Amino acid sequence: MGGFMKVVRVLAGALSLLTLASYARAATLAELIEGAKKEGVLRGQWGQASFGGSEGFKEIVSAMNKKYKTDIKGQYTPGPDMQALMLRVIQENAAGQPASTDVYLGNAQAMLDGLNAKVMRPTTYNQFIQDKPATEGKFNPIAADGTHVAFATAVVGVQYNTNFVKGNDIPKKIEDVLNPKWKGKIASTPYAAGIREFATPDFLGREKVVDFTRKLSKQIAGLMRCGEVERITSGEFIMLAFTCGGNDVNVARRTGAPVGHAVMEEGTVLHMRYAAIPKNSRSPNAAGLFIHFLMSAEGQELLWRMDGLDLHLFPGSQTKRELDRVRAAKGKVIINSPEWLASFKDYTAIQKELENILRQK
Amino acid sequence: MTSRIRGLFSGGTSPALLSLAALPMAVILVLVIAMFWVSVQKGALGTPSAVYTLTNYSAVFGDPFVVSVVVNTLIFTISATLVALAIGLPIAWLVERTTLPGKTFLYAIMTLGLLIPGIYTAMGWTLIAHPRIGLLNRWLVDLFGLDDGPINIATPIGMGFVQGLSLAALAFILTSQMFRAMNPSLEEAARVHGMGYGKIIRRVTLPLARPGILAAVIYIFTIGIATFDIPAILGLGNRVYLLSTFIYLKVHPQGAGLPEYGITGVVGAFMIVVAGMLTLWYGQVLRQGHRFEVVTGKGYKPALIPLGRWSIFAWALILGYALISKLIPLLLIAYAALMPYFVPPSLEAMQQFSMTHFYGMDWELVSRGLKNTVVLVAVVPLAVLLLAFTISWLIVRSRSRVRYLLEFGAFLPQALPEVILAIGALLLALFVIGKNVPLYGSVWIIAIVYIVARLAFATRALNGSLLQIHRELEEAAFVSGLSTARTAWRVLFPLIRPTLFSVWIWTALLVYRELTAAVFLAVHDNITLPAVIWSYWFSGSINKASAVTLLMTLVLAPLIFIAWWFGRRSQVSLN
Repeated sequence: MGGFMKVVRVLAGALSLLTLASYARAATLAELIEGAKKEGVLRGQWGQASFGGSEGFKEIVSAMNKKYKTDIKGQYTPGPDMQALMLRVIQENAAGQPASTDVYLGNAQAMLDGLNAKVMRPTTYNQFIQDKPATEGKFNPIAADGTHVAFATAVVGVQYNTNFVKGNDIPKKIEDVLNPKWKGKIASTPYAAGIREFATPDFLGREKVVDFTRKLSKQIAGLMRCGEVERITSGEFIMLAFTCGGNDVNVARRTGAPVGHAVMEEGTVLHMRYAAIPKNSRSPNAAGLFIHFLMSAEGQELLWRMDGLDLHLFPGSQTKRELDRVRAAKGKVIINSPEWLASFKDYTAIQKELENILRQK
Repeated sequence: MTSRIRGLFSGGTSPALLSLAALPMAVILVLVIAMFWVSVQKGALGTPSAVYTLTNYSAVFGDPFVVSVVVNTLIFTISATLVALAIGLPIAWLVERTTLPGKTFLYAIMTLGLLIPGIYTAMGWTLIAHPRIGLLNRWLVDLFGLDDGPINIATPIGMGFVQGLSLAALAFILTSQMFRAMNPSLEEAARVHGMGYGKIIRRVTLPLARPGILAAVIYIFTIGIATFDIPAILGLGNRVYLLSTFIYLKVHPQGAGLPEYGITGVVGAFMIVVAGMLTLWYGQVLRQGHRFEVVTGKGYKPALIPLGRWSIFAWALILGYALISKLIPLLLIAYAALMPYFVPPSLEAMQQFSMTHFYGMDWELVSRGLKNTVVLVAVVPLAVLLLAFTISWLIVRSRSRVRYLLEFGAFLPQALPEVILAIGALLLALFVIGKNVPLYGSVWIIAIVYIVARLAFATRALNGSLLQIHRELEEAAFVSGLSTARTAWRVLFPLIRPTLFSVWIWTALLVYRELTAAVFLAVHDNITLPAVIWSYWFSGSINKASAVTLLMTLVLAPLIFIAWWFGRRSQVSLN
């Protein structure tokens, strides 16, 4: 029995080495496609509210197969939130188990956790992504070390029910959400979305935002997560201050749902959405191909259709138009990236402080 | 032969039976140890960043917020227990002790309710009694010109009420067998002596049913402590926290920081103390059980109290309960499944009905979830029956001190939130046995947790039944030369067949809708149907979640009717 297990382990090790070797060679798109064809299956896991959920995944894999003439079978499983999923990937990697998801899609905070745990596979995106997006200041959507790629942008603001919040009542400035008229009717997120970034020295600073959050905590009726747009449309809460991005509103409005999204005059935070391949991915080539597709014009168009977002650094981006309006009004725009988060050593402590304030009545 | 009987009933236990009973106990022990192991760690478990520390204990017991969480939990749990018993107990009595017509339909109502996930009962009550969007509140505000809705369902008492509605079915099932198996001779004797029905119920029926009622109270109370879905839907968004939602937030921080499994472990340790106290209490009730052995080898024929016109009143109450706890949530599910987005129900909104969510359903995902759920429903109830019967028989019949350990072990998982069992299993599968036993990501890891978690329910029910079977029947079988296994098969199983059937079907239903453990253990290949629904709901896709739930209910409802019909035809009691 012991001997048999040894043989199995040796064979498994050899197989993993072969897979890694074939992936390491996939420096060109053609090689990536060939590798993906051999893998045959791509497992995707993230929240159902993110990136179009199961329908979005199905559409993207189908379009990807059409574009690259592959026949990869997409298997989507709804997963936990972005940070919880990253922790799962980290633990699976530590335990020598395959990753729950072959391709990871998530936010900057989760990506920072993944980078710190060194569970992301460095990949030669620069060699096989043809139409590279522009850079913005120090921000390059394609990480220099090849561990991750920013493929979409979500713009932080206030979400509201258009049946109850109309005309001049629509908040324009951050302080507008504290209007006594909204007391006991609005919500915030349990993770202080948006607000936490306002607290950085680049924006309003910690003290001002802590004071604002204390007032907001007394103003809100409760907490809801980003993506729960139906709690706004139902009127359970008539406003969400602040959002993780306006993309779910973009999608909900197409169905006629009574919901709107406003970006504040002071400025906004861009919640970037990142893609990466876990080191313990079972289909790294298919994952690479998936990321390649997301960074193509077809992929960006599909993302906009399925989840109401795209990368503002691509020409013709829909998100860019909204940002141009903010910038024209001289609002501040901050890009939330792992590198930016890592530059604030107190960021996590501030976020926890704001979360605790919001959880107390 | 005589020595065998003496051995079995005066301390000795069969090694084979003991080994079988010890199997789940070993799993429980390992999971409890895993929980303590987790409670002394901080950081990302299984990674080098994890460190051993006792700070989790000081963090929990030194935090005033935890005190408010415990108080909320107690209020919630007491409310839920009272409401569940206030509904379940009278219905059980009506079904088992009276001539109430339409009993098969009643069982179907109670069972069908279990198919509706608690999240929908909570959603239904959000639409009824939410301070801002509740129809009842809006009506009261309009009627009396109030500023705000006077009813708030998002309080510990309000949530307890909704949970109680959901648990009434369990209170019903846990107490009905007690009423059914009760020897009518004592009641008849009371009637001969001129007692009225009210007095007989108070002085004879209820005292005889006391062990069953107490068992139900303890069982429902512990479920209340650990329950998650209704407090999550009604409480979390309104900043009302209970122990289960507190644990959830620690495991799913929803913001900065890593999951604090250690805090969960500490809460689990606290729960073991609670479970220990409840088990001791239950054990005392059980030790007095021989006083309630009312089914003997002869003269057992339950008599029913004629209800007459009162049956109309009884059915009105039952239908009222069905309306608020089952029908409204079910209608809400259908409504949400057909709406493109969620708004409060109105005729205007209904004009937007469409089949969008059915056309766009991810059938590959749904069939994967269904396949795993079917495997669990097929395997778990049978395993639970086998193990629980063995444990219950040893608890009730053996006089060995081992039975106290078995009692404690079988009850422990009931008092531990399933999230604790699930986390223990997850960490074991990942970091301890993961490289040798491929449990992680398989449906079997979920099956093991379900079996362990359902043992308490099954042993409670079987203990009650076995208590009422006088041991003289088994002694007679042994004297006639039957082996232990054949005695169980030929004597005990026929007598407790109603309970066995009941445990099987209720376990199957509970497994079918079980969520908490699945949410923690489902990875990719082993996702279950309830986990699919929860994922949809949790990410804000209420309509998609409703569409899957509606399908799940429509597919299963006829099967339940068939099961009850089959049970009736086979003269298997349906309690």
